[in-house]
Amino acid sequence: MFKETCEVLENKTVAPDHFLLKLSSKKIGKAALPGQFVQILCSGDSLDPLLPRPFSFLEASPTSFSLLYHVVGQGTELMAKFKKGDKVHVLGPLGKGFTLRRKTEDGRGKRLLVGGGVGIPPLYHLAKDLVRTKEVKKSDIHVFLGARNKSLLLCEKDFLKLGVQLHLATDDGSKGHKGYVTQVLVKFLKSSIFHLPSSLIHSCGPTPMLKAVSLVASEFGAPNEVSVEVPMACGFGACLGCALKVKGETPGSHRFAIACTEGPVFEGSKILWD
Amino acid sequence: MGLDLSVQIGKIKLKNPVLVASGTFGHAKEFEDFFDLKKLGGIVTKTITLKPRLGNPPPRIVETPAGMLNAIGLQNPGVERFIEDKLPYLKKLGVPIIVSAMGYSVDEFMQVVQTLDRADGIDGYELNLSCPNVPYSSKTETLSLVKMFAHDDRMIEEVVSAVRQVTDKTLIAKLGPDVSDVPKMALAAEKAGADAVSLINTFIAMVIDVKTRKPVLANKTGGLSGPCIRPIAVRMVWETAKRVKIPVLGMGGIMNAEHALEFLIAGATAVQVGTANFMNPEASSQVLNGIEDFMKKEKLSSMKEIIRSVKS
Repeated sequence: MFKETCEVLENKTVAPDHFLLKLSSKKIGKAALPGQFVQILCSGDSLDPLLPRPFSFLEASPTSFSLLYHVVGQGTELMAKFKKGDKVHVLGPLGKGFTLRRKTEDGRGKRLLVGGGVGIPPLYHLAKDLVRTKEVKKSDIHVFLGARNKSLLLCEKDFLKLGVQLHLATDDGSKGHKGYVTQVLVKFLKSSIFHLPSSLIHSCGPTPMLKAVSLVASEFGAPNEVSVEVPMACGFGACLGCALKVKGETPGSHRFAIACTEGPVFEGSKILWD
Repeated sequence: MGLDLSVQIGKIKLKNPVLVASGTFGHAKEFEDFFDLKKLGGIVTKTITLKPRLGNPPPRIVETPAGMLNAIGLQNPGVERFIEDKLPYLKKLGVPIIVSAMGYSVDEFMQVVQTLDRADGIDGYELNLSCPNVPYSSKTETLSLVKMFAHDDRMIEEVVSAVRQVTDKTLIAKLGPDVSDVPKMALAAEKAGADAVSLINTFIAMVIDVKTRKPVLANKTGGLSGPCIRPIAVRMVWETAKRVKIPVLGMGGIMNAEHALEFLIAGATAVQVGTANFMNPEASSQVLNGIEDFMKKEKLSSMKEIIRSVKS
């Protein structure tokens, strides 16, 4: 975990209201793992807004990292104004990311990555790492992307370049299946013959999507992990603000996990969804 | 010429007046990557209760202009697990450790402090009389009339006197701002044997989502902290320091050294950095550096020249 002042290398529109921000970094980029995140102080030294904003990595290298953000409010509006050469205060890498390596009995397992909206970028980071480390064959990495329309299917081309198997869904039917990405996932799980218990489903996106994916996964007996998004202040376990209701130690009980340190990636079966 | 930043709070000699506020610094380990924790004048832990507490359901926080609301609900492992899991790290730091303690009744306050008192490595206690985010329950008739201990001078006196009887260590009463007369509350704590008072805890506040017409926080209300409360906190410290003989620890929206100096000049003997730790984990260290720079620039050699130096 580092506090770094990073230089803006690039800040460009990649989809309507969506920007890709690339920052120079000597420490954070080198240590970043897929599913981990950074806290960006959007307001610099003016501290208005006061709190930093959390973002997952899209890509990371020993000299830089990038993230993809949706302009939704005061903080991200300020970020959209970042210019090349600007200095930004960043904290990271934070939290516990996706499971990369996984022992399976026969190596038959697949990885299914299910993403929606700005939940897609960390899945690209994950897919890239799985391919780079040869942890899973490209043909065994299936990526399911969902968006309102085709212009918001983030990272679609990047996934294609990576050579992984792509499955698309849009609400308006402008590309891929018309409807939810979870419907595509269910169809895939029903029609495919492969060993589900040695596979792993990773998902990131809106909470209703995560819940749906998690329920589908348990229905089919596939292990799954989800990356949650909850209101957060510090990002490193000091404020205890980012509580997530999860199963407690005894059956029927619950406790509040702190998403920034225990997560943001959680085993889907541990979460108590509303 | 060496700078003497030391100050005295009860039996504790702090090497400098910069502490970190309860509930904003975890149990210190969370910050070890960012700066040398030994630099701190003292550490006030997250509040510890007798039994473990799960805390409040989410959402627990919401941002506001120049501030934030929190309703964490005192999530903590309970006094026994605190002693087992958290205290060993804290006591190795070589920095005065002040444990924030809280009970739901006078009796529970005594039990928490008694249990802590048997452990090694604690220098003092800050009694959290003013957490706005937990319901209080007690058989005491007077208590049922008030929402929290810090809202009633008789209750403050009762709790502090009771705890005073079970410990010889430094006792600090942390008071809340939601009263019409803060000095009156501080005087009650002083009368009951407190070695110092901490001013102030968060303000009880509320944010509503106009679309759903529901409060944003699951707890409905939360405690407001951050730069927006600072001028009120400075005023309360100033009013109180004139009235009590015991030291006042000042806090409320300190983001940098200048803010800390405001509190010290107003009458605080030491300061606590709180919400700033969330956006800048090095904030407390930078506040200390800034106070040193100020002293050098103003050619001051000791804290006495700053504390309560406000001019009319």
